[in-house]
Amino acid sequence: MAGRFRRATAQWAAQFWADLKASTDAGLLGILRFLGLLYGPIDARLSIDQAFRKALGYRLAPQVGWRHALGGITYLLFIILVVTGVLLSVHYRPSAQEAYPSLQHIVSNVTLGWLIRDLHVWSASLLVLAVLAHMARVFVDAAYKPPRETNWLVGVLLLFLIVAFGASGYLLPWDQWAYWTVTDALNAMAAVPLIGGAAVAVLRGDPIVSGATLSRFFAMHVIVLPWITLALVAFHFTMVRRHGVAPITRAAAEPGRGRVFFPSHLLRSFMVAVLTCAVVITAAVLWPRPVSDPANPAKLPEAVRSTWVVVDVSRALTHYLGAWGFVGFTLVALGLAFVPLFDRGPERDLRRRPAVATLGLVFFVGFVAAWIAGRQLRNAPGPETLPAATEEPMRPAAGAPLRSLGPSPTQPAPPSDTTHAGREAR
Amino acid sequence: MNGGPMLVLIALAVGGGLGPAGPHATAVPRAPVAPSQLDTTYGCVACHADKRAAFVQGVHAERGIRCHDCHGGDPSAFALPAAHRGGFIGAPGKVATVALCGSCHSDPNRMRQYGLPSGQVAEFRTSRHGRLLLVGHDLDAPTCTDCHDAHTILRPDDARSTVYPTNIPTTCARCHEDKVLMAKYRLPTDQVERYRQSAHGVALFRNQNFASPTCVGCHGSHAALPPTVSEIANVCERCHILVGQAFDRGPHGRAAHAGKIAGCLGCHSNHGTERVPAEQIAAACAKCHAAGTSANALGMQIQQRAVQATEELRAAQLAIAQLSLAGRQTGDARFRYQTAVTAYEQIAQAQHSLDPEHLDDLARQVRSISRDLRGMASVAEEQRWEHKLLLVPVWFLALASLVLAWFALRHLEGKAERP
Repeated sequence: MAGRFRRATAQWAAQFWADLKASTDAGLLGILRFLGLLYGPIDARLSIDQAFRKALGYRLAPQVGWRHALGGITYLLFIILVVTGVLLSVHYRPSAQEAYPSLQHIVSNVTLGWLIRDLHVWSASLLVLAVLAHMARVFVDAAYKPPRETNWLVGVLLLFLIVAFGASGYLLPWDQWAYWTVTDALNAMAAVPLIGGAAVAVLRGDPIVSGATLSRFFAMHVIVLPWITLALVAFHFTMVRRHGVAPITRAAAEPGRGRVFFPSHLLRSFMVAVLTCAVVITAAVLWPRPVSDPANPAKLPEAVRSTWVVVDVSRALTHYLGAWGFVGFTLVALGLAFVPLFDRGPERDLRRRPAVATLGLVFFVGFVAAWIAGRQLRNAPGPETLPAATEEPMRPAAGAPLRSLGPSPTQPAPPSDTTHAGREAR
Repeated sequence: MNGGPMLVLIALAVGGGLGPAGPHATAVPRAPVAPSQLDTTYGCVACHADKRAAFVQGVHAERGIRCHDCHGGDPSAFALPAAHRGGFIGAPGKVATVALCGSCHSDPNRMRQYGLPSGQVAEFRTSRHGRLLLVGHDLDAPTCTDCHDAHTILRPDDARSTVYPTNIPTTCARCHEDKVLMAKYRLPTDQVERYRQSAHGVALFRNQNFASPTCVGCHGSHAALPPTVSEIANVCERCHILVGQAFDRGPHGRAAHAGKIAGCLGCHSNHGTERVPAEQIAAACAKCHAAGTSANALGMQIQQRAVQATEELRAAQLAIAQLSLAGRQTGDARFRYQTAVTAYEQIAQAQHSLDPEHLDDLARQVRSISRDLRGMASVAEEQRWEHKLLLVPVWFLALASLVLAWFALRHLEGKAERP
């Protein structure tokens, strides 16, 4: 067992080194390949237009079908996030004083600001789903098996980056939900033994979530994470080009029999892209994300209602299965993350991989079920529940006189009257 | 008689043997001693250690007042017959206590330096307590030391003091909740309980708001008396100035100051100080003004204005909540809302003048701002609906592109198969 594991690791390390060397071996046009815009190798011996023509005539593997679009959808959603994110960063101000007003400014005054913001929110949520669907496809096709195990691990890293993107972006609106969800999440993180406390101290930068935390999260969200992600995505794509799309059966695909890249494959990609954009715009227009009151460290909101998929899932897990259910599910996820390290046989048919298939089924079905259950538990805030959620902050002004005509019993009289009682008491 | 060794023994017992001892100890002049220190040359404490413990916590000890200043006797003597000689008065009686305290506290020349008033005894003589005690010689009536502890005299801003604001109701209740004692004077015993439920009691106890009146805020402390009928409105108006001004302008105010009605108590009661919610204004009027009278109709008119303004304000609040939840800027709306709240609060005051025109004026302000804010919310709502129209071109373009791409694909792939 140990020997097998050592051999597998050594084999993987050699493969990884070869892949890394290949990914750096690129000419000018190779940049296009990094961005996923061109398939196939660029022939450096030809003139540029001939090389381009040759690349366009590239034939894809015959087994490529619609289900292979999931990775592309994920990439498109990532591009939408980059574009809308840049537009948002023009008007957004990452300080505790200005974050919330700048959000209101984006929604109220900026041309199409409301749409840009909700496109960003919805792309982020749909991205998680697209990524998981993409991973499920890779898992079912056993596309993580050698020689493509590096790419699976890179993909898992990208998944963690997406989670980090979501977590850091969640705080930026600086409203009550954001503030207290992040407070909650950081408190949970601090409970992790050994590294939890130090990690939270670095991330939070203050004894409580504050302007210092906001600056850190903003820097993570728009500077640190995007560059790491871009590098990993480029590596991810290079791997795909280098190893090709995984064959469905053990029989190697016959080259040259698949669909031609231009125009056949590109048109299909275009259709998928149009449909994806239309769905994201529809979701953003129909279900804009509500904004809570400005973050207030001195006051707990009535309910912390995170609308983020990951939070929904963990909410359902802890609610129905308890803490150990959460831990167990996390272990299943970890097992899936490192599945190419122990599942290295040549078998690609899902029905002949019962152990791994069960593991995958438990995770994917469990994830979707937990997400739906978590949404139910969250009891999504709709327009009809608005007053209950937002009455509180205005209470000092209005709640008192609404109860009856006269100063409220819960409201102190103006401090100018203090002398009366003091004098009388003496 | 060997006094020497005995004095040594007492000194050892009292001061732990640290003080000067011997036959000449009594001849040494007393040096000023801090209240926390034990003066072993002071005889009273040899027996009355418990009184000393109570006394040193108070402000009198800080000012250097000692046992014999009030009780007389000879503090330099350490044995009983000698110590209780020389103008010794022991524990003074209730009537004597008043004179004893007054001997210092009625002297403005002594009290000036401490910023204290000197009229307490004069005030006390005018109070019900004072008349019962000093004129009627009723020994159930309280004297100074019944409210202020005899030995532990604390400042009123010391939270341990019996006259600290939150302690005053309990201090008064020591007698006024005693059913047997109060039966003698035919007084009720539920005042403190009702006060706790009242707006004043909630403000004091729950919110620690010391601007809220305790018992003495309305009745006076040393001059404690229930206000007379014509005085009631003046008592309440000391704090409720604007309400009072409006009240005085109206017919109720004139009647109250003439002593014909019991001022504010008619609607709000005394110790309970109940609020009259907007929807119960007419019911409050109907307690005195029979149905069908013009005053009764006016009550209903006022109630209608107040209830309507309440609803307008609530609608404005809801409009702001909607704007806020949609992520809209609400600074301007909230500013205008404050103006509406101000007008609304003025309705609460102005209705005491029973002047419907003034009320109308204020209610109009609330209504107009509320209408504006609801307008802002509905404009935002309409814009949201207009946003949905964007889906029409989006889906038209999307579907058109999909169909075109589909046909192009079929055409291209058909061509590819044909040759």
